[in-house]
Amino acid sequence: MTTYRSAAAAHPAAAATPTRSLADLAGLPVIGVSLGHPDTISAEHWLASLPSAPLLACTHLVRTPRPHVALSLVFDHPTPGAIAGADSVPAEAGEECPVAAAEHVARSSGRAVLYPGVEKLVGTLSVAEILELSAIEKVEVLGGGEADPAALVDTGDFVRPQWRLGSLTLTTTPAAGGHLVPFETRHPTPCCAAH
Amino acid sequence: MGHGHHHDHSFEAGTDVPPALDLSVPDGELSPSDVSRRGFLRNAGLLGAGAAASVLATPSAAVAAGLPHSHGPVGGGQEKGGFRWLAGDHHIHTQYSSDAQYRVIDQAQHGHAFGLDWLVITDHGSNAHAKIGVEKVNPDILKTRTELPGLLTFQGLEWNIPAAEHATVFVHPGRNEVAVLKQFEQTYDGSQLPATNTEAQNEAMAIAGIKFLGEQVKARKVEGALFLANHPARRGIDSPHEVRNWRDADPTVAIGMEGAPGHQASGIKAPNGRGGARGYYDNNPSAASFAGYPLESYRTWGGFDWMTATVGGLWDSLLAEGRAWWVTVNSDSHVNYLDQSERGPGSNFEANGKYNDPVYTGTVNTGAGDFWPGFYGRTSVGATSFSYKAVMDGLRAGRVWVDHGRLIKSMDARVRAAGDHRATSGTPLGGVLQVRRGTTTELTLEIDLQDKPNWAQFIPVLSRVDVIVGSVTGPAASRDSFVAPDTKVVKSYEVSPGATKLSVTYPLGRLDKPFYVRVRGTDGRRTQPGLMGAAVDPVGPKLDVIGDADPWADLWFYTNPIWVLPR
Repeated sequence: MTTYRSAAAAHPAAAATPTRSLADLAGLPVIGVSLGHPDTISAEHWLASLPSAPLLACTHLVRTPRPHVALSLVFDHPTPGAIAGADSVPAEAGEECPVAAAEHVARSSGRAVLYPGVEKLVGTLSVAEILELSAIEKVEVLGGGEADPAALVDTGDFVRPQWRLGSLTLTTTPAAGGHLVPFETRHPTPCCAAH
Repeated sequence: MGHGHHHDHSFEAGTDVPPALDLSVPDGELSPSDVSRRGFLRNAGLLGAGAAASVLATPSAAVAAGLPHSHGPVGGGQEKGGFRWLAGDHHIHTQYSSDAQYRVIDQAQHGHAFGLDWLVITDHGSNAHAKIGVEKVNPDILKTRTELPGLLTFQGLEWNIPAAEHATVFVHPGRNEVAVLKQFEQTYDGSQLPATNTEAQNEAMAIAGIKFLGEQVKARKVEGALFLANHPARRGIDSPHEVRNWRDADPTVAIGMEGAPGHQASGIKAPNGRGGARGYYDNNPSAASFAGYPLESYRTWGGFDWMTATVGGLWDSLLAEGRAWWVTVNSDSHVNYLDQSERGPGSNFEANGKYNDPVYTGTVNTGAGDFWPGFYGRTSVGATSFSYKAVMDGLRAGRVWVDHGRLIKSMDARVRAAGDHRATSGTPLGGVLQVRRGTTTELTLEIDLQDKPNWAQFIPVLSRVDVIVGSVTGPAASRDSFVAPDTKVVKSYEVSPGATKLSVTYPLGRLDKPFYVRVRGTDGRRTQPGLMGAAVDPVGPKLDVIGDADPWADLWFYTNPIWVLPR
């Protein structure tokens, strides 16, 4: 398996800027784009290749016309040169995906790859630190409600919160050593080597 | 049924719809008792589409009890409740899988030594397997049958279900076993279908594949063929409607799913173990996943798959419809924990359809996630004799309980009319008891507690047994439903320390509406309120810890259900 660069690591300049809150981004247009990526890994690759990183970028699982991963993007400037000279997406960059944009705007679903503070979520951090350092609004334990603010999370330098019920929520699960880990791991077990 | 020496306990489903359920028969042509039954079912919302494919239509499916009769000294298992309980595993890989390594005889003789009476060889469907492996493995299986006459060794394969997860598919031994499996794999395996297929086309191919298997049985090419969905919730791609579609495609073939996945060693803490997720359940939703599944569905709970572990969840939603759908546990053995062998050097899997025989390495593999067949989990089937057919019939009838780490020794669970304690009466697991409305019924449960050490060298201690009951409410409004709001734990029994047996009778009351009952038990070491709330399941299985899930310190057993329906 090839190791891929995270989108955050691809844009070290982002680390220098102070963490903005999600409220600071309110009002900026949300662009939905569908490039037919089969999975989140390839969608994140594409994201990392953009010349200018979005402030907020989420992946969305879209069923039609066939299952694929779309993205919703929020740029610092309403008309980013990163994607095009307009709010809409030009044909060569894929198709507009209103569903992805709508999910993002409604904060109903979508998995955040780039968000304010993501570059600070490395190593082991407490739940309270994650909430303070990043735009993540809630940390939950799978099947167990809200996480204890003092609980320690081994981030694995890979933290992908999701929009759920209006909040950017990081779901975690209990892990070895009494720590928590984000629900999503960077390298989940492939289903089998045969196909 | 019910006499002493009857050999055909097959599930005659789908074809003989009882008059009360056959809406083409007008009320006026029904017998008075059928009019009464139809009226009852109509009032209960149980008439209509779907009813014909449920236990409501084919109660004889599982009523077939029969008395025990053995066929000579061959074979193991233990007598209990009128059946010979044969322990098995329907999910095992060999050197004919690109991600595995053992010979058939390696898996078979370990499984047999660890107490299994039957097992199924299920190498992955693939180009190499469809062209070469499916045929080449057969002589190895035939030889194993000769060398280990006390073990029933089935040939099967692990089907890449089009548009979904994997499934065990296996057939009764016979001269066409390879031909049927080969044609099935070449026509219906996901690896053999065009990548341009739409989701709808692939879902249709899955249904066609199950029907194909049923047709081979009807054409007498093979004596039986079964399908069981493997690790169903692992990646969220077995949607509820697909599960229902498979089952309805042919309920004599598609009979159930893994209640717990294999790979139960994969959560053992590093450095002594792999330090991963129990069952390799560490995935997250993908574009192919069913969007309605919560994140909870992607992890194991007390080692079991979310579909089974959640009281009032997906499995119960099927049972509440009257859909017979059974659960099993298996090893999914590919490469085993603490083994000291590896794939043979100089192998060319693509060219040969197999790896060379494994070789001893002298090093201990602590990174492997699997147990040998029989070492940890077992699927106990109530059979009427020691035979291939009896195992398939017992599985099809749902006369099955499963456990991890040999938590219990044996059990006899039956539902009866209250007060009838004759040894020969009562409806066993998987069965349907039909009684007049108003009849009082009860569950009688007799569990022989474990008195022998398991393969981790300790005697497991059963701590608690839960009785779970749900109303049968007929076909769900949506085929993507995965909740059964009326199903819950109704009674828990604490097991006294030092007891050798748990014998309890749970009163099920006077029958006023159809229902089912199933049983679960645990060593009680890891519990939390169930996902549907403490009122539904106050002490359910706990979410397994990533990187620190000791499988021997968290043991459960589950039974399949028994239905009680108005006559």
